[in-house]
Amino acid sequence: MAIPTESGAGALPVPPKKRSEARGLKKGLRQLLRSKTGMIGAVIVLIVCLIAIFAPLLATHDPNAVAPIDRLKPPAWLEGGSSDYLLGTDNLGRDIWSRIVYGSQVSLIVGIGAVLVSGAIGAVLGVTAAYYGRWVDAIIMRLADSLLAIPTILLMLVVLAVVGPGMWTLIFVIGATNWVSYARVVRGEVLSLKERDFVKSARMIGARSGRIIFRHILPNVMSSFIVLSGMNVATTIIMEASLSFLGLGITTPDVSWGGMLSDGRQYVATSWWVATFPGMAITITVLGVIFLGDWLRDVLDPRMKLKNG
Amino acid sequence: MGKYLVKSLLQMIPVLLLISLIVFVLVRVTGDPVALMLPESATEADRATLTRELGLDLPLYQQYGIFLTNAIQGDFGTSFRYGESALPLVLERLPASFELAFAAMALAVVIAIPLGIWSAVKRNTFIDIFISGISVLGKAMPNFWMGIMLILLFSVMLGWFPVSGRGGLTHLILPAITLGVSLAAQMTRLIRSNMLEILNQDYIRTARSKGIFELFVIGKHAFRNGLIPVVTIMSLQFTSLIGGTLITETVFAWPGLGQLLVSAVNTHDMAIVQAAVFVIAIFVILMNILTDLVYRLLDPRIKYS
Amino acid sequence: MKSGLIKTFAALLAAALVVTGCGGGGATTSTDTGTTAAAPAASDGTLTIANGTDIESFDPQNNNNTASEAILVNVFDYLLKNDNEGNKVPALATSWEQTADNVWQFKLRDDVKFHNGDPFTAADVKYTFERLATDEALKQHSYFKTIEEVRAVDDYTAEFVTTGPDPLLLNRLSKMGAGILPSKYIEENGIDAFLKSPIGTGAYKFKSWAKDDRVVLEKNDEYFDGAPKWDEVVFRVVPEASTRVSELLTGGVDIVSGVPSTDIERIEQTENLSVETTPIKRVLQMIVRQTEGTPTADPKVREAIDLAIDKKAIVDSIAGGNGVLTRTSVTPGNFGSDESLYEQSLYDLEKAKALLQEAGYGDKGPELSLSSSSQYKEYAEVVSAMLTAAGFTVNLDILEPSAFSEKMTSKTFGELYMIGIGNSMNDASNNYNRFLASEAAGETDYNNAEVEDLLQSALVNMDEASRTDEYKKVQQILAEERPAIYLFQMKGVYGVNASVDFSPRQDEMFYAQEITPAQ
Repeated sequence: MAIPTESGAGALPVPPKKRSEARGLKKGLRQLLRSKTGMIGAVIVLIVCLIAIFAPLLATHDPNAVAPIDRLKPPAWLEGGSSDYLLGTDNLGRDIWSRIVYGSQVSLIVGIGAVLVSGAIGAVLGVTAAYYGRWVDAIIMRLADSLLAIPTILLMLVVLAVVGPGMWTLIFVIGATNWVSYARVVRGEVLSLKERDFVKSARMIGARSGRIIFRHILPNVMSSFIVLSGMNVATTIIMEASLSFLGLGITTPDVSWGGMLSDGRQYVATSWWVATFPGMAITITVLGVIFLGDWLRDVLDPRMKLKNG
Repeated sequence: MGKYLVKSLLQMIPVLLLISLIVFVLVRVTGDPVALMLPESATEADRATLTRELGLDLPLYQQYGIFLTNAIQGDFGTSFRYGESALPLVLERLPASFELAFAAMALAVVIAIPLGIWSAVKRNTFIDIFISGISVLGKAMPNFWMGIMLILLFSVMLGWFPVSGRGGLTHLILPAITLGVSLAAQMTRLIRSNMLEILNQDYIRTARSKGIFELFVIGKHAFRNGLIPVVTIMSLQFTSLIGGTLITETVFAWPGLGQLLVSAVNTHDMAIVQAAVFVIAIFVILMNILTDLVYRLLDPRIKYS
Repeated sequence: MKSGLIKTFAALLAAALVVTGCGGGGATTSTDTGTTAAAPAASDGTLTIANGTDIESFDPQNNNNTASEAILVNVFDYLLKNDNEGNKVPALATSWEQTADNVWQFKLRDDVKFHNGDPFTAADVKYTFERLATDEALKQHSYFKTIEEVRAVDDYTAEFVTTGPDPLLLNRLSKMGAGILPSKYIEENGIDAFLKSPIGTGAYKFKSWAKDDRVVLEKNDEYFDGAPKWDEVVFRVVPEASTRVSELLTGGVDIVSGVPSTDIERIEQTENLSVETTPIKRVLQMIVRQTEGTPTADPKVREAIDLAIDKKAIVDSIAGGNGVLTRTSVTPGNFGSDESLYEQSLYDLEKAKALLQEAGYGDKGPELSLSSSSQYKEYAEVVSAMLTAAGFTVNLDILEPSAFSEKMTSKTFGELYMIGIGNSMNDASNNYNRFLASEAAGETDYNNAEVEDLLQSALVNMDEASRTDEYKKVQQILAEERPAIYLFQMKGVYGVNASVDFSPRQDEMFYAQEITPAQ
């Protein structure tokens, strides 16, 4: 990206926020230790990540192996349970513990993947809108308004009905429909930064637009971005569950908590464990992500308090 | 104010145009309506005839032109599931969905305001943490799961409310809770953080330190200022509220727009999907303008620019 | 300003409450709140039935959905109908005879009135079937194409002329779509007006239809065949299975269809409730592509697939015992059934593996795609896992129902697709149309000259005995060649409140005249 003929970054004025950010991070970590909910959130998210990474070691069964004879076995500690199946089995006799373990991978991949895609789309469109202004801005922002006026889940429902369900389609569909909040935040930040001294002087030195955007503006919107992403990972996990309920979630061989919960809803009254464990997994993970997100928000961007609940 | 209204209404036009484009593209890529409309025994010639009749052999921009002209006149085509014009089918579902959405919103407000304020006033106490925990939980629990649990608990086990369907007030309570809880959760958190900020402001602190009756202070100053963002979030959440009805209505067999839409999507009845997306979008935009007006009424500092 | 604020807010709240409060009025409901434990009776003159789906339309000819017809049979009568043993019994027609190779004469009842008072005559029969035979846009059209003309000989005699010898005419006249429409009413008011307030000759009159909510029918005191048993019959739409069961448990409805197998015990254990099951004319099966170049072109591979699937385990577990093993889709009660293949099933995992070895597959078995509609997701998942255990590599593709039928229409499935096929004609021909060479082309690409000859001959064979033999022969060949692998015949599973007497029918219809208040 760097062009040799240009002078190094050192020649440019240092963006003022960078230093304060580093300081903020240290302060933030200290705050994290003090904030109880932030701690809980961080621990939960860490555990989920570890489970996802070490899934093959933690799982006791092939998550997709069915055993009709062993179907709907209760968890090991209940009467009729077997030590083979820690959390019991589902309607096809699959081991719920192993499925939850592997499901964590999918939840994280979908959550993070969708956020990356929507973040990327939002960033590009937001920066473009703010930087080029006028009709480009008008079109992009009207497009954002239009998307905001259609419930996301409806949009996804229609798109998924067309392209068919699946993990990667889900990521891209959520990504493609969820970029609006990112674009808005980025556009706002860029608009206010555009007029600041260091950007102006970078321009005067003759730095190219792309370089200015990447080197100087993006780092400054990072904090808002991270805060938004925390919220979005949570909504994405819930969204996947809702889509599973409507029959357009992730399908085998990928295991998702939303799919498990949705498949298990028929058995809530008769075999509670089928739906309850994936439901708990979703709820606890989302809880963790929200707590962590709150802490991030307090640390990184106190102004966001007003914009997000 | 009149000027502002005119301006916002005018701004709806490009947004609606873009929505029409989005809808058009979605529908055009949604597979082949001809294959769905004709019986299995249809011949190639039947297909060709229907394709021509539906105008599917025209260039895309012409198809869009026709689509737009018709849409402006309220003609979104015929639902092939019901064999009736799509728009009236959508409109006749609105009362049921509005009933549910407004009930959920009302419930959310009734829950969120006292909890939010209480939580802020008792900041960092057990009560605060408890309320925060509950409200995050409300957000973290998938909608349909909560609905099913509520039915099992309150209808099957306790027998307090009917299980499903639309009827009297008792039919409304469980679906409204299901739909309203995540809304209430978000509002509670927002009201709490706003109240905190306001309670920290000098004039309130002064008032409190002077020993003015606590409730009075909260009511008179803090509450009013804390309410403004609630109005905003109400408008923002109307979209997700309508989205939430898709699921809640299916769980509770509630005959609203959500159920119509889900089955329309599942049967690829695109005339209904088009009409419904439009109606929802117009409604959401109008709600936004309305809340913006209320917002301005509440906060006279904002000018009608 | 502050009082203004409070007022605004109060107004908002009040508005919300008013909207919520007055929305309730209109709909009728038989739900009784405040009850627990033993399910109470819902009845008092009203029969309430909950189904998973809504009817498609009140035009019986533009429906292709058993669940719709199950309701419409109460409003519209057939000329003749099937009793639960599959015999043809008189309804609007009192007798019939074949007068020439392609001509049939029907004597009609002279005491029947439509719900608006118009008398039922041969003109209505003519209108009904000529509309079916000529209007290609109707979903039932293809089943009635063989009707060339209907003549109204006199008011109470109708003569059917078919395009050629048609051994199936009586089956057509007693199947879904054959309900008699009021010709005068429709010609005077137009079909749209008819659809808004449909009338027929049936035991129940149309009262209201709130889409995705309920169809309400009220009794027709003028009914020609005995007084209706109920003042009102309500068909509710409750898509969620668990919600449907909860309605039954709380006494909100009298009968629910589609009870999940896991809820059977729970219903049985509740006082006043029972579960009724009956085999229905629907066989869950996999259609197998034999196209050159696919692994399933090899008969050994097809046999291995069949042998690798433990159908009994599937019926016993997922179906909760509600299924009958079968190696033919023509189940007893349908014309042409070969009972030597019924209640039979093959399963031999070791032999399946051996067959794959013989077919030249080593460690890595053939790769198959298996598509299924989300409706049969559980079954598809289990079958896929069983095939995997036998060495196959299965790409499972679960589609939502309309995407599934779109792919089926365009014949673009891979090696296998799973589907439950019903038989509204009660005749083997209906099962085997898809294996006629012309229909199979592009789908299964099944092509067997002998089968083709037998099937074509049976379509016009008026001799019942030799026609049965033709279909039996076809069944034996198909059981060997496996253009379809049959899993089991499904059962209808209904939850029933003790306040009603209900025995489910093989054809899944809800004749309210056959459902009576319990004594």
